[in-house]
Amino acid sequence: MAKNEEKCIVYMNGRILGYVKDGVAYANEIRKGRRNGLLSGEINVSYVNKLNEVHINADSGRVRKPYIIVEDGKSKLTEELLVKLRNKEIDFGYLIRRGIIEYLDAEEEENTDVAMKESDITKNTTHLEVDPAGIFGFTLSTAPYLEHNSAPRHGMSANFIKQSQGVFATNFNLRFESRSYVLFYPQAPLVQTSVYKSVGMQRHPSGQNFVVALSTYYGYNMGDAVVVNKAAVDRGLGRSMYYKMYADEERRYPGGQKDSFKIPPATAEGYLGEHAYAKLGDDGLIEPETKVLEGDVLIGKVAPPRFLEESIGESGLQEKLRDDSSVLKPSENGVVDSVIVTESTGATRVVKVRVRGLRVPEVGDKFASRHGQKGVIAYVVPQEDMPFTEQGVVPDLLLNPHGIPQRLTFGHLLEELAGKSAAMTGKIVDGTAFTGKGSDRVEEYGKILESFGFNKMGNETFYDGITGKRFKATIFNGLVYYNRLYHMVSNKLQVRSKGPVQILTHQPTEGKARQGGLRFGEMERDVLVGYGASLLVKERLLDQSDKGTVLVCKNCGNIGYRDYIKRVDVCPICGGSDLAAVEISYAFKLLLDEIKSMHIFPKIKMKG
Amino acid sequence: MAKKENMFEISAGEPVGVIAAQSLGEPATQMVLKAFHFAGLKSEIATAGLPRFVEIVDAKKKPATPFTYIAVDKSIAKDEQKLIRLAKKISEIKVSDISRRIVEEFSKGTIILRLDFEKLEANELTAKVVASKIEKLTKLSCTLEGMDVRITAGTRNIKQIRNMAVQLNKMTINGIDGAGRAAVREDPKTKELQLITDNSSLSGLLDVEGIDAYNIYTNDIFEEYRVFGVEAARNAIITELEKLLHESEISVSRRHLELLADAMTADGDVKNVGRRGLSGEKESVFARAAYEETVKHLINAAAFGESDPMQGVTENILMGKQIMLGTGRVELAVKKEDIAKSKKEKK
Repeated sequence: MAKNEEKCIVYMNGRILGYVKDGVAYANEIRKGRRNGLLSGEINVSYVNKLNEVHINADSGRVRKPYIIVEDGKSKLTEELLVKLRNKEIDFGYLIRRGIIEYLDAEEEENTDVAMKESDITKNTTHLEVDPAGIFGFTLSTAPYLEHNSAPRHGMSANFIKQSQGVFATNFNLRFESRSYVLFYPQAPLVQTSVYKSVGMQRHPSGQNFVVALSTYYGYNMGDAVVVNKAAVDRGLGRSMYYKMYADEERRYPGGQKDSFKIPPATAEGYLGEHAYAKLGDDGLIEPETKVLEGDVLIGKVAPPRFLEESIGESGLQEKLRDDSSVLKPSENGVVDSVIVTESTGATRVVKVRVRGLRVPEVGDKFASRHGQKGVIAYVVPQEDMPFTEQGVVPDLLLNPHGIPQRLTFGHLLEELAGKSAAMTGKIVDGTAFTGKGSDRVEEYGKILESFGFNKMGNETFYDGITGKRFKATIFNGLVYYNRLYHMVSNKLQVRSKGPVQILTHQPTEGKARQGGLRFGEMERDVLVGYGASLLVKERLLDQSDKGTVLVCKNCGNIGYRDYIKRVDVCPICGGSDLAAVEISYAFKLLLDEIKSMHIFPKIKMKG
Repeated sequence: MAKKENMFEISAGEPVGVIAAQSLGEPATQMVLKAFHFAGLKSEIATAGLPRFVEIVDAKKKPATPFTYIAVDKSIAKDEQKLIRLAKKISEIKVSDISRRIVEEFSKGTIILRLDFEKLEANELTAKVVASKIEKLTKLSCTLEGMDVRITAGTRNIKQIRNMAVQLNKMTINGIDGAGRAAVREDPKTKELQLITDNSSLSGLLDVEGIDAYNIYTNDIFEEYRVFGVEAARNAIITELEKLLHESEISVSRRHLELLADAMTADGDVKNVGRRGLSGEKESVFARAAYEETVKHLINAAAFGESDPMQGVTENILMGKQIMLGTGRVELAVKKEDIAKSKKEKK
């Protein structure tokens, strides 16, 4: 190793390629070659000072980002080129080919000194950001005034934008997604960004411009709760359609057996009862535009029995069949939107049924602005009870003002102001990050509002809809682009009194899909124990869970059984017949069985 | 007055342990977030927050940052110079603190200790003093050669020489064994001068002249246990927890801490709360198996033919029986049938 001490190791895609004397000069040479087109633009090179190594990367999977090259303290993207670019004489590819813009990966970025703005360029600057807003990702870049929001909200904001309902594809009527949501009256935001415009999001937007007032409402919008105007909801605010697809296939089995779509005969195994199949057509498929409720069969299907012996019936001729119909999931309902019959690649018949359900905003539905400000509807207020302005404007949504200062989402307020001015002028406002000073923007929008007779800060006098009294304080209001997120109560609501239990433990099942219960866990148990509520503990953990009665031998302490033919209790271990019925948790019986399986012989001793 | 007192009395069957556990456990979850919020003087950066809480409850043999506050006799309490001298006297200096290196000469059967002149100066020691001290402690002949101390081991056995060298490194040249470094500081409350050390050695310190043996405080629970006994350890657990919770601005009733400390010290020994302490010594096989090391407890129970008395909470819930706490604590002393029987007998 001593031999290479002064030499710099060169790695190519993580493998040693060789040695050079001066790593920095070598890396610069490669960069030069890349810029003048001798080398591929997809190569990235970095000099690692700490290890005295050069890393060349040309493999796939690196995330890369374009930067404008700066040489001798001057940006290579000159005014001249910008004019040409504007006149469409040249394009972005030209700039890359000419070595004006290059793509850097994460490793090469370590060797650079990037200026955010052209005025920030110093002697040491190597690159210039194409746009300072480029530090935000694609999704987030569709939101305005990002530079006025706190960093943690950015992450949340991007997540909410992804969860918003809108028009996900213009051919949604022809598509059979397993589940999808389509907003009724999507609107393009009044405040847009350059990214939003350039990707054409206005053509399939995912939200609506809400009239928002920052006001409390009789305690109904505490915390992250929001209050919405019932009249606005009735007019279509936030209304959307939920599509769910059920699919089935006529499978072929080894031995020539085959599934078939039809109304199952009453003799079929697992027959659900006549009423369940009432809505099916003769072909065993449901008709479009049929109202369907929980438990209704959508696709009637019979399948051959699971085990071979069963297929040979007593008569030898009539085959026993199994009902394998697709049933509408519990707690769902709607209208059959579309039914298609096609063929799979295996030449079997495939049926897809799409059920649609209206989703009118209701208490418990989730909404979010583009600033990571989420909220759940807590009350749908009749319009006459909502606060209103002097002009008679009634807000669509009331947001609790306490949610703003702590979270530092001032972009939300700025959007409200900009949205209001945009609504007055009818012109879309640009809110791309780092394109203007916040105070200048407030002034600009304030001037527009003033010219329309509003307060320049966006405050207005409001009257209480219930008492008719004027509020002492003026209330800040404006228009904000809100997204309706796909977390809706009607798809999550779940109840259980009695229901299915697990086979192994005899305890209630878990999860909405299995009509399960909510777990009463260890800590919840501790709370009841802490209260000394001994019978309540027993009720939760035994009576309403896995209670079972077993016969315990009074002689040897083992679990026995009752022989119903001889009408005696039997202990299989000692052969005795003096057994007592004991109520225990089934899980305890299982525990005893498992202990036995590890060669430990547990016995139950009984009092008296 | 008597009525008011009765109001505070705990009713029979009240699950005090569970309530204490919840009352301590809930703030402990909040402390995770606050763990790094406390800072102080350089010498006073002690473990606080959740790590310290875990340390106490787990009954760790030595705290991560042990320290001792030592009050001094009134006669010298005002004289800072005397205190500094006292601190120097207490301060523990090990061979490793003043040496550069230890060379073992296996063939000659000698160990050479290379002393660091600068470090010696800093500790106000001379090579001569060090050499004589080592001679006294090891009872081996030492010769001084400049900054080197040559120790004749009296053997050529490699293992013995190596052991000697290791021990030599740990040897205390000055001060009290295990006392750590001492410094003078002002008590922030009483404004009196006192000593602070970054370790704990109560047994050694108590005999030192000039210190006030009745006013020594250490955060080392086990040191208090060794020197003063379990009662002191119990009180130390309570004071340490109280101090910790106070620092974290959490208010928990002292009774909960007392109960915890009592449970930890009930056997005359300081036990931790866990598998090797309180939980591991439960009477019920099922309760132990339900906590940790399930298989170990079941197999041992089988090997020794243990039987479960079914008196605790865990095992009764496991089986589906009513727990014997709270409303389940009470039982009929005389059963209905027995009354009927005795009536019949009377007739």
